[in-house]
Amino acid sequence: MATETAVDAVVEEEERAAEELARKTLEAADWRPSTRGVVARVAVLGFVLLLILASPHLVPAVYTNLVSRAAVYGIVALSMNVLVGYAGQVSLGHNAFFGVGAFGSAFALTKMEIPFLAALVVAALTGAVGALVIGAVALRLRGLYLAIVTVAYAFFATETIFNIRSLTGGGAGQPAPRPSFLTSDVRYAYFCIGILGLALLFDWRLTASKGGRAIQALRDDERVAASWGINVTSFKLLAFLISGVLAGVAGALFASTEGVATPLDFPFALGLTFLVMTVVGGAGNRWGVIQGGVLFALLPTLLERSHENFHVFPFTAIDATAEPAIGALLLLVTLIFTPGGIAQQQKHLLAWLSFKRWTDTRESTGMAPGGMGARP
Amino acid sequence: MSTILKVLVIGLQAGAVYSLVALGLALVYKATRTLNFAQGELGTIPAFAGYLVMTGFRTSGEPVADKGRFWIATIVAIAVGALLGVLINTLVIRWLAAASPVTSLVATAAVMLLSTSLAVIVFDPKIRRFPQYVGGGFTFPGTDVIVSWQTIVTLIVLAGAAALLALLFRTPPGVALLATAQEPFAAELQGVSVSAMRTMAWAIAGVLGALGGLLGAGVFASIAPGFMTSTFLIPALVGAVLGGLTSMVGAVSGGLMLGVIVSAANQINRSFELGIPGTPQVAAFVVLLLVLLLRPRGLFGQEA
Repeated sequence: MATETAVDAVVEEEERAAEELARKTLEAADWRPSTRGVVARVAVLGFVLLLILASPHLVPAVYTNLVSRAAVYGIVALSMNVLVGYAGQVSLGHNAFFGVGAFGSAFALTKMEIPFLAALVVAALTGAVGALVIGAVALRLRGLYLAIVTVAYAFFATETIFNIRSLTGGGAGQPAPRPSFLTSDVRYAYFCIGILGLALLFDWRLTASKGGRAIQALRDDERVAASWGINVTSFKLLAFLISGVLAGVAGALFASTEGVATPLDFPFALGLTFLVMTVVGGAGNRWGVIQGGVLFALLPTLLERSHENFHVFPFTAIDATAEPAIGALLLLVTLIFTPGGIAQQQKHLLAWLSFKRWTDTRESTGMAPGGMGARP
Repeated sequence: MSTILKVLVIGLQAGAVYSLVALGLALVYKATRTLNFAQGELGTIPAFAGYLVMTGFRTSGEPVADKGRFWIATIVAIAVGALLGVLINTLVIRWLAAASPVTSLVATAAVMLLSTSLAVIVFDPKIRRFPQYVGGGFTFPGTDVIVSWQTIVTLIVLAGAAALLALLFRTPPGVALLATAQEPFAAELQGVSVSAMRTMAWAIAGVLGALGGLLGAGVFASIAPGFMTSTFLIPALVGAVLGGLTSMVGAVSGGLMLGVIVSAANQINRSFELGIPGTPQVAAFVVLLLVLLLRPRGLFGQEA
């Protein structure tokens, strides 16, 4: 008898907890910010947007290209996010897709002399082809083995593909001139921010679509996804295709920022940086990874400037060469303590900014339950 | 004939170092299911420690390579390697025990990045001279192929390390290590301290890494920050996969085979004037893809 009562008590307790949760969820779904809340949120969002739009004019003229670079890294971060965050496939060799796009665009601009926007399309296509090679391998291999293949691919790309003289110009590189309407750095920065905006829009619509949800289902469990009628082969390849297109376009924009693409611009270390910024930003969350990308685009310059201007301890010892070490430390701290990265640390802020309650973190961070699924 | 011999000799020289690194990779993978991307750094950092001993702890001196100093440097390097291996396990890998293998791989990649970057900050990215254990070489009888003594030393060390590891797996601690690798929970129930076994595996991997670093430095008679990672890690990784990631025999034979394959690819590229840039990377990538697609468990691996 006594045990039965105890069991009843436990069951009752569980039922009560479930009811409580359901009630809270319903309440949260019904919740709308007050008028003042809406005004405050719109004001903050507007200010951030204004700051981003004004950034090419705000920064000193020598750093205008840095804004372009930050936008390019943002696009790369979104590209990484599709693979690492949504599809659950690790890529340690994203510098290969990025570089293939850059050289594709440079070749199209210099050797075929086609218009800039058409060259962007070429970059998207070459990036997609570069990614689909790995995608085809990923159909057979997963986890650790896929990770090894991406590393070997990155080395193969940097040492071999990027050094084929007739395609990439060898060590001297291939010129990637900007078109006449984008020769000014400020205009080019706006162009890059615009493409980042488009990529963001695309990413948003992707996660809201059936295809996007199918890709995320692959991350959680391929077999379960297949049992729900999701075509694993197609959607995995689609994830690699999207990632490759985004990386290729980013590569083309990167090449034209400096006006030339050389093999040394795309070392294996760059691929590691791309992975680091995605994980540190918070894989699975578009706002997190973009912040990670921007952070790592600016980090070397920030460190260099701090080293020159602040004559107090940490800055006297470190300069731009410390960037990989700081990135690595951030990555370790993220993996061990906050697997959700920047997005996890900002979950309340992100919830608030998406017109929810400050404490309401459902879905606002876009993470799988527990945040573990979004780990690389 | 002499070309084939030359390809073999050059291949075995690099391949022996690949094998030492691959042995460390395989041992750690077997014991902790972690693919250690920092295995190359377990060679670079000890090599630099040995270099510091030989220069009298100056970061930019000429190494004094008298016999006594060299042996002290070797012992210090091996100790540093073991310590480094244990540190990586204690500070990083232990905390990620519940995470997926890919997460711990990314973590070891971060350790690699951190170590390379710190080495660049302390030592600058420049090449330093590093003495070989035995200089010179001998001409292979009947041909004009020169075999360096360094290659012989490396092969002997490799054989010794492999034999000691094979012996280890026949002693009680070795069996406990195998048990930990196969089923940590059951091993714990049998009174095996899983964490101690994992620490031991990382320490041995550190020693193997240090040996690889000292002998890898001898291949070019020079060291530079991250040299083991950039030159030897990827071929060693591919060699380990080729031999079967969990197999010690596989690691040794896979590393040696890959050394010969790479050397043959280089020779083919040269003699037929194909002009393919980065031939070693092409060879490694192709071998990796073929192995993973045709026989994912490798030549000697027991499981996929």
